[in-house]
Amino acid sequence: MRIVIAEDSAVMRAGLAEILADSDHQVVAAVGNADDLLAAVEEHHPDAAVVDVRMPPGYTDEGLRAAIAIRRDHPATGVLVFSQYIETRYTADLLGAASGNGAAGVGYLLKDRVADVEEFVEALSRVAAGGTALDPEVVTQLFGASRHTDGLGALTARERDVLALMAEGRSNGAIAATLVISERSVEKHVANIFSRLGLAPSDADHRRVLAVLRYLAS
Amino acid sequence: MRVLDGYVPPQRSVLERILIRSWEYRRLPVWAGGRIGVGIVLVGLGVVTLSLGGNDWATYGWTMAFLAAGAANLAFGYWFIAIAYRPLPQRVRELERSRAHLVDDSAARLRRIERDLHDGAQAQMVAVTMKLGLAIKKLAGMTGETGQTDLERVLELVVAAHGGAKEAITELRDLARGIHPHVLDQGLGTALATLAARSNPPVDLVVDLAERPSAAIETIAYFCAAELLTNVTKHSGARHATLEVVRVAGLLQVRVRDDGCGGARVEARGGLAGLAERIRTVDGKLQVTSPPGGPSVVTVELPSRA
Repeated sequence: MRIVIAEDSAVMRAGLAEILADSDHQVVAAVGNADDLLAAVEEHHPDAAVVDVRMPPGYTDEGLRAAIAIRRDHPATGVLVFSQYIETRYTADLLGAASGNGAAGVGYLLKDRVADVEEFVEALSRVAAGGTALDPEVVTQLFGASRHTDGLGALTARERDVLALMAEGRSNGAIAATLVISERSVEKHVANIFSRLGLAPSDADHRRVLAVLRYLAS
Repeated sequence: MRVLDGYVPPQRSVLERILIRSWEYRRLPVWAGGRIGVGIVLVGLGVVTLSLGGNDWATYGWTMAFLAAGAANLAFGYWFIAIAYRPLPQRVRELERSRAHLVDDSAARLRRIERDLHDGAQAQMVAVTMKLGLAIKKLAGMTGETGQTDLERVLELVVAAHGGAKEAITELRDLARGIHPHVLDQGLGTALATLAARSNPPVDLVVDLAERPSAAIETIAYFCAAELLTNVTKHSGARHATLEVVRVAGLLQVRVRDDGCGGARVEARGGLAGLAERIRTVDGKLQVTSPPGGPSVVTVELPSRA
């Protein structure tokens, strides 16, 4: 993959570049603020951009706004936003920007997740391929804030686990590996979840994630 | 929440400011009592002179002098009382203003601490975990065949992570010290001695405090001294500096002199402006004398209680 990194901390920027280079990806640009990020995406048309939410000059949500702009103007570039905290509002903004297109191509992770190198790189690949990667923390918040307590209550504990992983954007194969069950039983759980929540089943991973997220957020 | 930039300090007349600088505000009633006492005695003396003296110019002269001096003293006494016991609504307005400023000041401090944590220790720790994550990946990949180059790479990563963790510890320690300097519990003198000893260029320390100021004042005095010495190190190019902390006329005076290049100014959003804001919360004062070419003298005056 060809990747652009936008992160104001030099330590983090170097670390990210190292991880991605080690996983045989190409970091085409590493910048420290949102304006440079937009310019770099314009110039390189990367497969994915890794974007810190808080960047100069205001240190508020410059990165997030740039991420939304990239999703709007460069649908081929996936955007993985990461930050030190998870803010519910940012999730809504990002998913709002994502659902406008057929493909999602967005991710929102806590910075800590980069410690698990392979999972992080996998999440980035998913986003670059038009999928979704949401932090477990985001999913927990969505579950907590969801008004569909009846629907969620009707699920078994295992089905809730599967739903949470699905909301993070993982494929059936990844869910099966995480829960140490067969892919076949994941498929069965997914079918059950969709029928109990009254959602139309969908084959494409990102479409079903969006359906689940819309359900949780509505 | 009000923003710091919009803060308007309480309006005080020049005379009042001189008064507050000269004496501690809370001693005003005592001073007023003294002035009124002296005033009554002088007016009494005027009356006595008039009744005992003859019908001549000397008697009238003394009488007039006593009465005028007495009236002046009474007027001053009345003025002190008027300031000390000024109408409640006005005092409440002033207190509201200074409280709002205090709240803003502590909010700004918290914001700064959060920012420091976010940019410093947190980022550092994430970088450490990234390096360790990579090392784990390498080690896991090595379980099959052992490659010498990969071992060297793993060593490199672990060494870098080790260094990063140590830096994070240093940053956390500095940050904790920035929130509350532990050494301050042992008194301002001890804390300043530690501060001066850590300083580069060398600092001569003069501390003369008969009694301990209140904790809030000690903290502000300490941070002023720390900030001013940091400025000396960073900007002045001085070879020598002096830090004086003494009591002058009931005020705590913190003064830093250096033989550096001068040119220090209070600029919006600069370090000195931040210092001035903090000092103002306790009715203190910051004075900067720093001509181009030096030497610089920065004086902070604080009440000894707040």
